[in-house]
Amino acid sequence: MADVLSVGVNLEAFAQAISAIQALRSSVSRVFDCLKDGMRNKETLEGREKAFIAHFQDNLHSVNRDLNELERLSNLVGKPSENHPLHNSGLLSLDPVQDKTPLYSQLLQAYKWSNKLQYHAGLASGLLNQQSLKRSANQMGVSAKRRPKAQPTTLVLPPQYVDDVISRIDRMFPEMSIHLSRPNGTSAMLLVTLGKVLKVIVVMRSLFIDRTIVKGYNENVHTEDGKLDIWSKSNYQVFQKVTDHATTALLHYQLPQMPDVVVRSFMTWLRSYMKLFQAPCQRCGKFLQDGLPPTWRDFRTLEAFHDTCRQ
Amino acid sequence: MRPFLLEGGSVSQMPVAEGKNVQQTVELLTRKLEMLGAEKQGTFCVDCETYHTAASTLGSQGQAGKLMYVMHNSEYPLSCFALFENGPCLVADTNFDVLMVKLKGFFQSAKASKIETRGTRYQYCDFLVKVGTVTMGPSARGISVEVEYGPCVVASDCWSLLLEFLQSFLGSHTPGAPTVFGNRHDAVYSPADTMVQYMELFNKIRKQQQVPVAGIR
Ligand SMILES: [Zn+2]
Repeated sequence: MADVLSVGVNLEAFAQAISAIQALRSSVSRVFDCLKDGMRNKETLEGREKAFIAHFQDNLHSVNRDLNELERLSNLVGKPSENHPLHNSGLLSLDPVQDKTPLYSQLLQAYKWSNKLQYHAGLASGLLNQQSLKRSANQMGVSAKRRPKAQPTTLVLPPQYVDDVISRIDRMFPEMSIHLSRPNGTSAMLLVTLGKVLKVIVVMRSLFIDRTIVKGYNENVHTEDGKLDIWSKSNYQVFQKVTDHATTALLHYQLPQMPDVVVRSFMTWLRSYMKLFQAPCQRCGKFLQDGLPPTWRDFRTLEAFHDTCRQ
Repeated sequence: MRPFLLEGGSVSQMPVAEGKNVQQTVELLTRKLEMLGAEKQGTFCVDCETYHTAASTLGSQGQAGKLMYVMHNSEYPLSCFALFENGPCLVADTNFDVLMVKLKGFFQSAKASKIETRGTRYQYCDFLVKVGTVTMGPSARGISVEVEYGPCVVASDCWSLLLEFLQSFLGSHTPGAPTVFGNRHDAVYSPADTMVQYMELFNKIRKQQQVPVAGIR
Protein backbone atom coordinates (compact mmCIF):
# COMPACT_ATOMS: atom_id res chain seq x y z
CA MET A 1 0.00 0.00 0.00
CA ALA A 2 2.70 2.42 0.95
CA ASP A 3 4.32 2.46 -2.46
CA VAL A 4 1.14 3.72 -4.07
CA LEU A 5 1.55 6.79 -2.04
CA SER A 6 4.59 8.44 -3.52
CA VAL A 7 4.41 11.58 -1.50
CA GLY A 8 5.17 14.35 -3.91
CA VAL A 9 6.35 16.60 -1.16
CA ASN A 10 9.45 18.71 -0.87
CA LEU A 11 10.67 17.60 2.55
CA GLU A 12 13.18 20.40 2.78
CA ALA A 13 10.43 22.96 2.28
CA PHE A 14 8.36 21.12 4.86
CA ALA A 15 11.00 21.55 7.52
CA GLN A 16 11.35 25.21 6.68
CA ALA A 17 7.59 25.71 6.73
CA ILE A 18 7.34 24.19 10.16
CA SER A 19 9.93 26.55 11.55
CA ALA A 20 8.14 29.43 9.77
CA ILE A 21 4.98 28.47 11.62
CA GLN A 22 6.88 28.50 14.89
CA ALA A 23 8.30 31.92 14.07
CA LEU A 24 4.83 33.21 13.24
CA ARG A 25 3.41 31.87 16.47
CA SER A 26 6.09 33.51 18.58
CA SER A 27 5.75 36.84 16.81
CA VAL A 28 2.00 36.74 17.33
CA SER A 29 2.48 36.04 21.02
CA ARG A 30 4.88 38.96 21.19
CA VAL A 31 2.11 41.22 19.87
CA PHE A 32 -0.18 40.12 22.65
CA ASP A 33 2.57 40.35 25.24
CA CYS A 34 3.18 43.90 24.19
CA LEU A 35 -0.52 44.72 24.46
CA LYS A 36 -0.73 43.03 27.81
CA ASP A 37 2.23 44.94 29.25
CA GLY A 38 0.83 48.25 28.13
CA MET A 39 2.83 51.49 28.36
CA ARG A 40 6.13 51.36 30.20
CA ASN A 41 7.18 54.05 32.59
CA LYS A 42 8.77 56.92 30.72
CA GLU A 43 9.35 60.43 31.91
CA THR A 44 6.58 62.01 29.87
CA LEU A 45 3.21 60.75 28.86
CA GLU A 46 4.06 61.53 25.26
CA GLY A 47 7.23 59.50 25.50
CA ARG A 48 5.34 56.62 26.94
CA GLU A 49 2.80 56.61 24.10
CA LYS A 50 5.44 56.94 21.45
CA ALA A 51 7.50 54.05 22.76
CA PHE A 52 4.44 51.87 23.05
CA ILE A 53 3.25 52.57 19.52
CA ALA A 54 6.70 52.00 18.05
CA HIS A 55 7.01 48.71 19.91
CA PHE A 56 3.57 47.61 18.80
CA GLN A 57 4.34 48.54 15.19
CA ASP A 58 7.56 46.55 15.26
CA ASN A 59 5.75 43.52 16.49
CA LEU A 60 3.04 43.77 13.84
CA HIS A 61 5.68 44.12 11.16
CA SER A 62 7.38 40.95 12.25
CA VAL A 63 4.05 39.12 12.22
CA ASN A 64 3.52 40.32 8.69
CA ARG A 65 7.00 39.23 7.70
CA ASP A 66 6.63 35.76 9.18
CA LEU A 67 3.25 35.32 7.55
CA ASN A 68 4.62 36.20 4.14
CA GLU A 69 7.45 33.78 4.63
CA LEU A 70 5.02 31.01 5.56
CA GLU A 71 2.89 31.70 2.50
CA ARG A 72 5.94 31.53 0.27
CA LEU A 73 7.01 28.22 1.77
CA SER A 74 3.57 26.71 1.62
CA ASN A 75 3.63 27.08 -2.15
CA LEU A 76 6.90 25.15 -2.24
CA VAL A 77 5.61 22.35 -0.08
CA GLY A 78 3.13 21.25 -2.73
CA LYS A 79 -0.07 19.35 -2.18
CA PRO A 80 -0.25 15.79 -0.91
CA SER A 81 -1.51 13.50 -3.62
CA GLU A 82 -5.28 13.53 -3.77
CA ASN A 83 -5.73 10.47 -5.89
CA HIS A 84 -5.86 8.16 -2.92
CA PRO A 85 -9.44 6.87 -2.51
CA LEU A 86 -9.53 7.74 1.15
CA HIS A 87 -7.78 11.08 0.71
CA ASN A 88 -5.72 12.06 3.70
CA SER A 89 -6.89 9.16 5.78
CA GLY A 90 -5.02 6.99 3.28
CA LEU A 91 -1.87 8.28 4.94
CA LEU A 92 -2.73 6.10 7.88
CA SER A 93 -1.55 3.14 5.83
CA LEU A 94 1.94 4.57 6.16
CA ASP A 95 1.92 3.83 9.84
CA PRO A 96 4.67 1.24 10.28
CA VAL A 97 3.22 -0.34 13.41
CA GLN A 98 0.26 -2.01 11.69
CA ASP A 99 0.00 -4.76 14.29
CA LYS A 100 -0.37 -2.44 17.21
CA THR A 101 -2.75 0.04 15.61
CA PRO A 102 -4.76 -1.63 12.88
CA LEU A 103 -6.52 1.69 12.35
CA TYR A 104 -6.27 1.65 8.60
CA SER A 105 -7.79 -1.78 8.02
CA GLN A 106 -10.54 -0.96 10.48
CA LEU A 107 -11.21 2.24 8.63
CA LEU A 108 -11.52 0.38 5.34
CA GLN A 109 -13.94 -2.08 6.92
CA ALA A 110 -16.07 0.72 8.32
CA TYR A 111 -16.05 2.47 5.00
CA LYS A 112 -17.21 -0.62 3.15
CA TRP A 113 -19.84 -1.27 5.77
CA SER A 114 -21.29 2.21 5.64
CA ASN A 115 -21.35 2.06 1.84
CA LYS A 116 -23.31 -1.14 1.98
CA LEU A 117 -25.65 0.26 4.62
CA GLN A 118 -26.42 3.27 2.50
CA TYR A 119 -27.10 1.05 -0.48
CA HIS A 120 -29.46 -1.24 1.42
CA ALA A 121 -31.20 1.67 3.10
CA GLY A 122 -31.85 3.11 -0.33
CA LEU A 123 -33.39 -0.16 -1.51
CA ALA A 124 -35.52 -0.46 1.62
CA SER A 125 -36.80 3.06 1.33
CA GLY A 126 -37.82 2.40 -2.27
CA LEU A 127 -39.72 -0.72 -1.29
CA LEU A 128 -41.40 0.88 1.71
CA ASN A 129 -42.58 3.83 -0.31
CA GLN A 130 -44.50 1.45 -2.56
CA GLN A 131 -46.38 0.12 0.49
CA SER A 132 -47.48 3.60 1.60
CA LEU A 133 -49.58 4.29 4.69
CA LYS A 134 -51.56 1.21 5.63
CA ARG A 135 -54.89 2.53 6.74
CA SER A 136 -55.40 5.30 4.24
CA ALA A 137 -53.87 3.34 1.39
CA ASN A 138 -57.13 3.26 -0.56
CA GLN A 139 -58.06 6.86 -0.34
CA MET A 140 -54.51 7.79 -1.09
CA GLY A 141 -54.45 5.82 -4.28
CA VAL A 142 -57.00 8.31 -5.56
CA SER A 143 -55.83 11.48 -3.96
CA ALA A 144 -52.12 10.98 -4.44
CA LYS A 145 -52.50 11.75 -8.13
CA ARG A 146 -54.24 15.03 -7.51
CA ARG A 147 -51.81 15.96 -4.79
CA PRO A 148 -48.82 18.05 -5.76
CA LYS A 149 -45.79 15.82 -5.81
CA ALA A 150 -43.72 15.48 -2.66
CA GLN A 151 -42.69 18.77 -1.23
CA PRO A 152 -39.23 18.10 0.11
CA THR A 153 -39.22 21.05 2.49
CA THR A 154 -42.16 20.01 4.66
CA LEU A 155 -40.33 21.31 7.68
CA VAL A 156 -40.80 24.89 6.61
CA LEU A 157 -44.50 24.90 5.83
CA PRO A 158 -46.09 28.29 6.44
CA PRO A 159 -48.01 28.48 9.75
CA GLN A 160 -51.15 29.40 7.83
CA TYR A 161 -51.05 26.06 6.04
CA VAL A 162 -50.67 24.21 9.34
CA ASP A 163 -53.61 26.17 10.75
CA ASP A 164 -55.74 25.20 7.77
CA VAL A 165 -54.94 21.51 8.03
CA ILE A 166 -55.68 21.47 11.76
CA SER A 167 -58.94 23.39 11.50
CA ARG A 168 -60.09 21.05 8.72
CA ILE A 169 -59.44 18.07 11.02
CA ASP A 170 -61.20 19.89 13.85
CA ARG A 171 -64.33 20.27 11.71
CA MET A 172 -64.12 16.64 10.60
CA PHE A 173 -64.69 15.23 14.09
CA PRO A 174 -67.51 16.87 16.05
CA GLU A 175 -66.75 15.00 19.30
CA MET A 176 -63.18 16.20 19.21
CA SER A 177 -62.15 19.77 19.78
CA ILE A 178 -58.69 20.99 18.83
CA HIS A 179 -57.23 24.17 20.20
CA LEU A 180 -54.09 25.39 18.45
CA SER A 181 -51.59 27.73 20.06
CA ARG A 182 -48.04 28.84 19.37
CA PRO A 183 -46.47 29.68 22.72
CA ASN A 184 -42.91 29.10 21.54
CA GLY A 185 -42.54 30.73 18.15
CA THR A 186 -43.70 29.02 14.99
CA SER A 187 -44.16 25.50 16.31
CA ALA A 188 -47.77 24.75 17.04
CA MET A 189 -49.12 23.01 20.11
CA LEU A 190 -52.51 21.37 20.09
CA LEU A 191 -54.80 20.69 22.98
CA VAL A 192 -57.19 18.00 21.82
CA THR A 193 -60.24 17.32 23.98
CA LEU A 194 -62.02 14.09 23.16
CA GLY A 195 -65.58 14.10 24.46
CA LYS A 196 -65.48 13.86 28.24
CA VAL A 197 -62.92 11.09 28.10
CA LEU A 198 -59.47 12.50 27.73
CA LYS A 199 -57.26 15.41 26.73
CA VAL A 200 -54.20 15.18 24.55
CA ILE A 201 -51.35 17.63 24.28
CA VAL A 202 -49.72 17.41 20.86
CA VAL A 203 -46.42 19.16 20.21
CA MET A 204 -45.88 19.84 16.52
CA ARG A 205 -42.90 20.77 14.44
CA SER A 206 -44.38 22.19 11.26
CA LEU A 207 -46.89 19.45 10.41
CA PHE A 208 -44.93 16.68 12.10
CA ILE A 209 -46.04 15.50 15.50
CA ASP A 210 -43.08 15.52 17.85
CA ARG A 211 -44.59 14.48 21.13
CA THR A 212 -47.92 13.65 22.59
CA ILE A 213 -49.21 13.29 26.15
CA VAL A 214 -52.61 11.89 27.07
CA LYS A 215 -54.32 12.96 30.29
CA GLY A 216 -57.68 12.54 31.92
CA TYR A 217 -60.58 14.87 31.20
CA ASN A 218 -60.45 16.18 34.78
CA GLU A 219 -56.68 16.48 34.96
CA ASN A 220 -54.82 19.74 34.77
CA VAL A 221 -53.01 20.25 31.48
CA HIS A 222 -51.52 23.65 32.28
CA THR A 223 -48.55 24.70 34.34
CA GLU A 224 -48.89 27.28 37.09
CA ASP A 225 -48.16 30.12 34.69
CA GLY A 226 -50.98 29.03 32.42
CA LYS A 227 -48.90 27.42 29.67
CA LEU A 228 -49.56 23.97 28.32
CA ASP A 229 -47.69 21.47 30.46
CA ILE A 230 -45.89 19.31 27.93
CA TRP A 231 -43.71 17.42 30.41
CA SER A 232 -45.68 15.94 33.28
CA LYS A 233 -47.50 12.69 32.72
CA SER A 234 -50.98 11.68 33.78
CA ASN A 235 -51.62 10.54 37.35
CA TYR A 236 -53.68 7.65 36.07
CA GLN A 237 -52.12 4.42 34.83
CA VAL A 238 -54.70 4.09 32.08
CA PHE A 239 -53.69 7.39 30.48
CA GLN A 240 -50.00 6.67 30.90
CA LYS A 241 -50.62 3.52 28.92
CA VAL A 242 -52.59 5.38 26.25
CA THR A 243 -49.74 7.91 26.05
CA ASP A 244 -47.34 5.04 25.30
CA HIS A 245 -49.64 3.73 22.61
CA ALA A 246 -50.08 7.19 21.09
CA THR A 247 -46.31 7.50 20.86
CA THR A 248 -46.23 4.15 19.08
CA ALA A 249 -48.92 5.44 16.73
CA LEU A 250 -46.75 8.44 15.86
CA LEU A 251 -44.05 6.05 14.73
CA HIS A 252 -46.54 3.95 12.82
CA TYR A 253 -48.24 6.70 10.83
CA GLN A 254 -45.28 7.91 8.81
CA LEU A 255 -45.45 9.42 5.37
CA PRO A 256 -42.86 12.15 5.08
CA GLN A 257 -44.21 13.42 1.78
CA MET A 258 -47.74 13.93 3.08
CA PRO A 259 -47.61 15.10 6.69
CA ASP A 260 -51.24 16.27 6.61
CA VAL A 261 -52.40 12.71 5.93
CA VAL A 262 -50.33 11.56 8.88
CA VAL A 263 -51.91 14.08 11.24
CA ARG A 264 -55.38 13.15 10.02
CA SER A 265 -54.71 9.43 10.40
CA PHE A 266 -53.37 9.97 13.89
CA MET A 267 -56.42 11.99 14.91
CA THR A 268 -58.75 9.37 13.43
CA TRP A 269 -56.98 6.74 15.45
CA LEU A 270 -57.08 8.92 18.58
CA ARG A 271 -60.81 9.42 18.18
CA SER A 272 -61.37 5.70 18.73
CA TYR A 273 -60.59 6.33 22.42
CA MET A 274 -64.00 7.94 22.68
CA LYS A 275 -65.16 4.56 24.02
CA LEU A 276 -62.11 3.97 26.19
CA PHE A 277 -64.21 2.96 29.21
CA GLN A 278 -67.10 1.43 27.29
CA ALA A 279 -65.52 -0.95 24.82
CA PRO A 280 -64.63 -4.49 25.95
CA CYS A 281 -61.53 -6.18 24.58
CA GLN A 282 -62.10 -7.70 21.14
CA ARG A 283 -60.07 -10.73 22.03
CA CYS A 284 -60.88 -11.73 25.62
CA GLY A 285 -64.25 -9.95 25.79
CA LYS A 286 -63.50 -8.44 29.18
CA PHE A 287 -63.27 -4.87 30.32
CA LEU A 288 -60.41 -5.18 32.75
CA GLN A 289 -57.07 -6.84 32.72
CA ASP A 290 -54.71 -6.08 35.60
CA GLY A 291 -57.01 -3.21 36.49
CA LEU A 292 -56.76 -1.55 33.09
CA PRO A 293 -59.40 -1.28 30.36
CA PRO A 294 -58.47 -2.14 26.76
CA THR A 295 -55.99 0.68 26.08
CA TRP A 296 -54.75 -0.46 22.70
CA ARG A 297 -56.49 0.47 19.45
CA ASP A 298 -55.62 -1.43 16.32
CA PHE A 299 -54.01 0.90 13.78
CA ARG A 300 -56.05 -0.50 10.92
CA THR A 301 -59.40 -1.58 12.35
CA LEU A 302 -59.42 0.73 15.41
CA GLU A 303 -60.72 -2.17 17.49
CA ALA A 304 -60.09 -2.17 21.24
CA PHE A 305 -57.64 -4.62 22.80
CA HIS A 306 -55.84 -5.00 26.06
CA ASP A 307 -52.15 -4.33 25.72
CA THR A 308 -51.44 -8.03 26.18
CA CYS A 309 -54.33 -9.20 24.01
CA ARG A 310 -53.23 -7.57 20.77
CA GLN A 311 -51.52 -9.72 18.20
CA MET B 1 -64.11 11.47 40.59
CA ARG B 2 -66.27 8.52 40.12
CA PRO B 3 -67.40 6.81 43.31
CA PHE B 4 -70.50 4.89 43.92
CA LEU B 5 -71.80 2.88 46.76
CA LEU B 6 -72.57 -0.71 46.98
CA GLU B 7 -76.20 -1.36 47.67
CA GLY B 8 -75.41 -4.35 49.79
CA GLY B 9 -74.86 -2.29 52.84
CA SER B 10 -76.22 -4.94 55.09
CA VAL B 11 -74.29 -7.93 56.29
CA SER B 12 -77.06 -10.35 55.68
CA GLN B 13 -76.79 -9.61 52.00
CA MET B 14 -73.19 -10.70 51.79
CA PRO B 15 -72.90 -14.31 50.63
CA VAL B 16 -70.05 -15.20 52.94
CA ALA B 17 -71.54 -13.56 55.96
CA GLU B 18 -73.63 -16.46 57.10
CA GLY B 19 -72.68 -17.05 60.68
CA LYS B 20 -70.29 -14.12 60.60
CA ASN B 21 -70.60 -10.65 61.96
CA VAL B 22 -69.91 -7.30 60.33
CA GLN B 23 -66.32 -7.22 61.44
CA GLN B 24 -65.54 -10.64 60.04
CA THR B 25 -67.17 -9.82 56.72
CA VAL B 26 -65.19 -6.60 56.43
CA GLU B 27 -62.03 -8.57 57.07
CA LEU B 28 -63.00 -11.07 54.42
CA LEU B 29 -63.61 -8.31 51.88
CA THR B 30 -60.36 -6.52 52.59
CA ARG B 31 -58.43 -9.77 52.42
CA LYS B 32 -59.90 -10.40 48.96
CA LEU B 33 -58.86 -6.91 47.90
CA GLU B 34 -55.35 -7.45 49.14
CA MET B 35 -55.14 -10.75 47.29
CA LEU B 36 -56.17 -8.88 44.14
CA GLY B 37 -53.13 -6.65 44.62
CA ALA B 38 -54.82 -3.62 46.14
CA GLU B 39 -52.70 -1.51 48.47
CA LYS B 40 -53.76 0.14 51.71
CA GLN B 41 -53.85 3.91 51.53
CA GLY B 42 -54.95 5.32 54.85
CA THR B 43 -58.44 5.51 56.23
CA PHE B 44 -61.66 7.34 55.50
CA CYS B 45 -64.78 8.46 57.29
CA VAL B 46 -68.20 9.66 56.16
CA ASP B 47 -70.69 10.89 58.74
CA CYS B 48 -74.26 12.08 58.59
CA GLU B 49 -76.51 13.86 61.03
CA THR B 50 -80.25 14.28 60.55
CA TYR B 51 -82.04 17.56 61.20
CA HIS B 52 -85.76 18.14 61.07
CA THR B 53 -87.70 21.32 60.84
CA ALA B 54 -88.41 22.67 64.28
CA ALA B 55 -92.00 22.25 65.42
CA SER B 56 -92.40 25.97 66.00
CA THR B 57 -91.85 26.74 62.33
CA LEU B 58 -94.32 24.20 61.04
CA GLY B 59 -97.46 25.64 59.59
CA SER B 60 -100.82 23.96 59.43
CA GLN B 61 -101.23 20.57 61.02
CA GLY B 62 -100.33 17.52 59.06
CA GLN B 63 -97.52 19.15 57.14
CA ALA B 64 -94.58 16.88 57.68
CA GLY B 65 -91.28 18.44 58.63
CA LYS B 66 -88.70 18.13 55.91
CA LEU B 67 -85.56 16.20 56.80
CA MET B 68 -82.18 17.64 56.16
CA TYR B 69 -78.96 15.66 56.31
CA VAL B 70 -75.66 17.34 57.16
CA MET B 71 -72.72 15.22 56.08
CA HIS B 72 -68.93 15.23 56.07
CA ASN B 73 -66.50 13.20 54.02
CA SER B 74 -62.82 12.86 54.96
CA GLU B 75 -62.10 12.83 51.24
CA TYR B 76 -63.18 16.51 51.16
CA PRO B 77 -61.98 17.75 54.54
CA LEU B 78 -62.79 21.40 53.86
CA SER B 79 -66.38 20.85 52.82
CA CYS B 80 -69.67 20.21 54.49
CA PHE B 81 -72.63 18.81 52.59
CA ALA B 82 -76.26 19.58 53.31
CA LEU B 83 -78.79 17.37 51.55
CA PHE B 84 -82.53 16.96 51.33
CA GLU B 85 -84.03 13.69 50.30
CA ASN B 86 -84.71 13.89 46.54
CA GLY B 87 -83.68 17.47 46.83
CA PRO B 88 -80.75 19.71 46.24
CA CYS B 89 -77.31 19.09 47.67
CA LEU B 90 -75.56 22.09 49.09
CA VAL B 91 -71.77 22.06 49.26
CA ALA B 92 -70.47 24.49 51.86
CA ASP B 93 -67.40 25.25 53.96
CA THR B 94 -67.02 23.40 57.22
CA ASN B 95 -68.20 26.62 58.88
CA PHE B 96 -71.65 25.43 57.95
CA ASP B 97 -71.68 23.37 61.15
CA VAL B 98 -71.52 26.58 63.19
CA LEU B 99 -74.35 28.01 61.15
CA MET B 100 -76.50 25.00 61.96
CA VAL B 101 -76.07 25.74 65.67
CA LYS B 102 -77.35 29.26 65.06
CA LEU B 103 -80.30 27.89 63.11
CA LYS B 104 -81.39 25.81 66.09
CA GLY B 105 -84.74 27.55 66.03
CA PHE B 106 -85.49 26.22 62.55
CA PHE B 107 -83.61 22.97 62.30
CA GLN B 108 -83.24 20.61 65.21
CA SER B 109 -80.88 17.73 65.32
CA ALA B 110 -82.72 14.43 65.61
CA LYS B 111 -81.83 12.52 68.73
CA ALA B 112 -79.10 9.91 68.32
CA SER B 113 -79.37 10.23 64.59
CA LYS B 114 -75.68 10.31 63.90
CA ILE B 115 -74.62 7.55 61.55
CA GLU B 116 -71.19 7.11 60.09
CA THR B 117 -68.98 4.72 58.20
CA ARG B 118 -65.28 4.27 58.82
CA GLY B 119 -62.76 2.04 57.18
CA THR B 120 -59.70 1.62 55.03
CA ARG B 121 -58.95 3.03 51.60
CA TYR B 122 -57.48 0.69 49.03
CA GLN B 123 -55.77 1.60 45.79
CA TYR B 124 -55.79 -0.84 42.93
CA CYS B 125 -54.49 0.52 39.65
CA ASP B 126 -56.73 3.54 39.03
CA PHE B 127 -59.45 2.24 41.33
CA LEU B 128 -60.00 3.55 44.82
CA VAL B 129 -61.98 1.21 47.05
CA LYS B 130 -63.31 2.16 50.46
CA VAL B 131 -64.71 -0.57 52.63
CA GLY B 132 -66.34 0.84 55.74
CA THR B 133 -68.23 -0.33 58.77
CA VAL B 134 -71.47 1.59 59.22
CA THR B 135 -72.17 2.39 62.82
CA MET B 136 -75.05 4.07 64.64
CA GLY B 137 -74.20 4.84 68.20
CA PRO B 138 -72.18 1.96 69.60
CA SER B 139 -73.30 -0.79 67.25
CA ALA B 140 -72.17 -1.86 63.81
CA ARG B 141 -75.09 -1.84 61.39
CA GLY B 142 -73.66 -2.82 58.05
CA ILE B 143 -70.97 -2.47 55.46
CA SER B 144 -70.47 0.21 52.86
CA VAL B 145 -68.37 -0.37 49.78
CA GLU B 146 -67.42 2.60 47.64
CA VAL B 147 -65.57 2.21 44.40
CA GLU B 148 -64.14 5.17 42.57
CA TYR B 149 -62.63 5.01 39.12
CA GLY B 150 -60.76 8.29 38.84
CA PRO B 151 -59.95 8.39 35.12
CA CYS B 152 -63.60 8.45 34.05
CA VAL B 153 -65.73 11.51 34.77
CA VAL B 154 -69.06 10.34 33.34
CA ALA B 155 -70.69 7.79 35.61
CA SER B 156 -72.67 5.91 32.98
CA ASP B 157 -69.61 5.54 30.73
CA CYS B 158 -67.81 3.17 33.04
CA TRP B 159 -70.61 1.26 34.71
CA SER B 160 -69.88 -2.04 32.91
CA LEU B 161 -66.23 -1.68 33.74
CA LEU B 162 -67.00 -0.99 37.40
CA LEU B 163 -69.33 -3.95 37.56
CA GLU B 164 -66.62 -6.25 36.27
CA PHE B 165 -64.23 -4.90 38.86
CA LEU B 166 -66.77 -5.36 41.65
CA GLN B 167 -67.36 -8.94 40.60
CA SER B 168 -63.68 -9.62 41.01
CA PHE B 169 -63.90 -9.19 44.77
CA LEU B 170 -67.60 -9.36 45.62
CA GLY B 171 -68.40 -12.37 43.52
CA SER B 172 -72.01 -12.49 42.40
CA HIS B 173 -73.13 -10.04 45.07
CA THR B 174 -72.82 -6.98 42.93
CA PRO B 175 -75.36 -4.20 43.11
CA GLY B 176 -77.63 -2.77 40.46
CA ALA B 177 -76.60 0.51 38.93
CA PRO B 178 -77.11 3.35 41.42
CA THR B 179 -79.73 5.85 40.41
CA VAL B 180 -77.10 8.50 39.91
CA PHE B 181 -76.02 6.61 36.80
CA GLY B 182 -79.41 6.85 35.23
CA ASN B 183 -80.28 10.49 35.47
CA ARG B 184 -78.20 13.17 33.79
CA HIS B 185 -76.79 10.95 31.17
CA ASP B 186 -73.43 12.50 30.37
CA ALA B 187 -73.06 14.80 33.35
CA VAL B 188 -69.65 15.08 34.94
CA TYR B 189 -69.56 13.28 38.25
CA SER B 190 -69.24 15.46 41.34
CA PRO B 191 -68.56 14.87 45.04
CA ALA B 192 -72.22 15.65 45.72
CA ASP B 193 -73.18 12.54 43.72
CA THR B 194 -71.18 10.44 46.17
CA MET B 195 -72.82 12.10 49.16
CA VAL B 196 -76.31 11.45 47.78
CA GLN B 197 -75.43 7.78 47.51
CA TYR B 198 -74.11 7.66 51.07
CA MET B 199 -77.27 9.41 52.25
CA GLU B 200 -79.44 6.80 50.51
CA LEU B 201 -77.36 3.98 51.94
CA PHE B 202 -77.55 5.39 55.47
CA ASN B 203 -81.32 5.80 55.19
CA LYS B 204 -81.68 2.22 54.11
CA ILE B 205 -79.62 1.01 57.03
CA ARG B 206 -81.61 3.20 59.46
CA LYS B 207 -84.82 1.55 58.31
CA GLN B 208 -83.36 -1.89 58.84
CA GLN B 209 -82.80 -0.93 62.41
CA GLN B 210 -86.52 -1.26 63.08
CA VAL B 211 -86.53 -4.83 61.82
CA PRO B 212 -84.02 -6.79 63.85
CA VAL B 213 -81.76 -8.75 61.55
CA ALA B 214 -80.34 -12.01 62.73
CA GLY B 215 -76.62 -11.96 63.23
CA ILE B 216 -76.39 -8.29 63.97
CA ARG B 217 -75.99 -7.24 67.52
ZN1 LIG C 1 -58.24 -8.62 26.40
